[in-house]
Amino acid sequence: MDAFNSSQPQVDLSKLSEYDKRELQQNLQNEMQKAKIQESIHNLTDICWTKCITKGISSGKLDRNEESCTQNCVDRFLDANEAVLKHLNALRGGNVM
Amino acid sequence: MNDSFAASSDSKTAILKQIQQEVAINNARQLIDKMNNHCFQKCVPTPGSSLSRREEGCLTQCMEKYTATWNTVSRQYIARIQKSSSMGGIGNDDGAGI
Repeated sequence: MDAFNSSQPQVDLSKLSEYDKRELQQNLQNEMQKAKIQESIHNLTDICWTKCITKGISSGKLDRNEESCTQNCVDRFLDANEAVLKHLNALRGGNVM
Repeated sequence: MNDSFAASSDSKTAILKQIQQEVAINNARQLIDKMNNHCFQKCVPTPGSSLSRREEGCLTQCMEKYTATWNTVSRQYIARIQKSSSMGGIGNDDGAGI
């Protein structure tokens, strides 16, 4: 990625006006949010591929079972995530230290 | 005065552009990494002295399939987070989890 970095113009942060700084900060937050969502999608794809694509590869498309398995996989993973959090919360609540 | 205003907004655009590029590159890299892992696993069960034509064909289909899976997951996941955020979210606005 050297070529990529060296092609970037040098940017002087001190030249930013207050307004631009604030706007930039908002933009950066959006980008970080986007990156986080992409990361989750990669993670889920990883998990659901392993769960749902169990046969050998005989086509580049998802068949109907694989498609619905993948959709269920995403929803149930998120349900499981919520259930775990809920249970952890309950444990924390029951355990007054 | 006008000059420094222009410089400020130029820098802002440059920084934002760089960050967006990095996010995009990172996204592509992750996709390629995982695709490569999974497709190697599926298509090259016992590595020989070179990739056979069959293995190459499998890899091509596998890449398509992995991308299709990624798209399905993406649609499903985004629909889900949109639904839960329009319901006021379940105490989950910081994207906790995963």
